[in-house]
Parts: sequence; structure tokens; C-alpha cells
Amino acid sequence: MFMTEANSIDAVMRTLADPTRRAVFERIVNADEITVVELTRGSRVTQSAISQHLRSLKQAGLIAERPEGRNVHYRAKPEGLAPLVDWMSHYGLFWRDRFANLRTLLKEIDP
Amino acid sequence: MTDTATLADTRDIVVDEVFPHTPEMLWRTLTTAELIGRWLMIPAGFEPTKGKRFTFQTTPAGAWDGVIQCEVLEVVPHERLAFAWVGGHESNAGYGSRLETIATWTLTKVAGGTRLRLVHSGFQVPKNGVALQGMSEGWPKVFEKIEAIAGEQVN
Repeated sequence: MFMTEANSIDAVMRTLADPTRRAVFERIVNADEITVVELTRGSRVTQSAISQHLRSLKQAGLIAERPEGRNVHYRAKPEGLAPLVDWMSHYGLFWRDRFANLRTLLKEIDP
Repeated sequence: MTDTATLADTRDIVVDEVFPHTPEMLWRTLTTAELIGRWLMIPAGFEPTKGKRFTFQTTPAGAWDGVIQCEVLEVVPHERLAFAWVGGHESNAGYGSRLETIATWTLTKVAGGTRLRLVHSGFQVPKNGVALQGMSEGWPKVFEKIEAIAGEQVN
């Protein structure tokens, strides 16, 4: 799951330079997981515009998706922002994210 | 720079959470390579044995290949695991700068489960980041930075 290719700072910045897209990304970060329907509900733009932004964010490695039935849940990937942050911010986010993974894994193997 | 100044200029990241599982079960997730790969990253060469060296492949930056070099420093079954976490390159600033840290995991049995405390220690300030802006501010700080840089690009 961990990205091994370098995320260039340019690609990340190009993706986040658009204020609407940045707002979408901030909402994904602030939600643990969120669907396109929920994102559209609290926004002034159409669902197809939101979907377009989600595709760009995913391409830039900033978000991950988890399909479940007819819904797709989106969540932020802190490592996508790695080129922008220092080690302390990176690991602050990274470890919090990994603790959440650990909690999910434990639920799976030790229900 | 004196030794005192060097010591005073390092900071830790601490994550401390209670899990509704036994210390034995948590220990398994921390010390089994296959399980580590499912919640952290896939380790290469990991064994829970003092002195054992292993690596993680992460996102490269500049002259650094993205490999985190680790060495098991302490193993107390079901209680404590520590390993060195070293990476980065002198020529980088921010993410990817030279990093010489230690990750220490402490497990404590509590009512209803296990307290897991991670102390990731040895971040140098300012080389590895300004401590107060790291963990405590998290995402808001990142967004400030994004907006600042995005603003520069637009202007």
C-alpha cells in the first residue's frame, strides 16, 4: 500500500492549487472516511465535478479509496503530502494513521 | 554546538492508545513480519532479536532512496520493543533530511485491554522540523503550508 515512487512536489502542488479541490481534500482529511455523495451534499458543486476532483487527488497519491457495495469511501493518505512536510509533521500523521490500521487489523485477527 | 545544546534540540513524537486486545496479541502484531506488513509497512529482514538489522522502503526524496535502516535495540516479550529508525540524506531539507531516531514501543496491561505507547525519539530541531508545529498541530500546519505554496504558484 505504501507508495514507493517519488511524489514530486510539483504534482502535489498542481493538484492542490485549485481552491475547490483543496477544499474537497480538506474535507476528506477532516472526515475519517467519506463518500462522494456526502462530499457533494455539503458542497456547492455537482457530484460529477466532485468525482473529477477525487480522480485528480487519487492520481496525485493524496487519497485512497475503499469500495464497499455501491459506495466508495475516500480517505486521506498522509504520505502523499510527504514532499511538503518535515519529518516531524510527516511522522505525526504517519503514526496516527498506522495506529488506526493496527486497530483495524486487530479487529480482524482477534475479533 | 555543545552536547547540551544537541540534547536540548531533540524532540519526540508520542502516540499512546488503549486497544481492546491482550498484550500477547499486540506483541504478535508488533513482532511478526507478515503482520507488521499489514498495518505499518512490509519490513525486509525483520526478526524480533536484539541486533537484527532490517529495512522499510518509503517514499524517496532527492539523494535519499527512501530506505529506512532499522536495528532492533531492545526486546522484552509482551512489554517492550525498541528499534533504531535511520534514514534521509544530508543534502535534503524537511522530509528526507538526515534522520537518526529510535522507535520504542511499550505495552502495559490495563482494564479491558492493553495500552500501547510509541515514543519516536531523536528528531532534531530545526533540521527535522519544529517540534511544536509537528505532532500537536498536525494537519492544520500542513494546510497552512499548502496554501502558502499554492498561493506562491498562482501569483
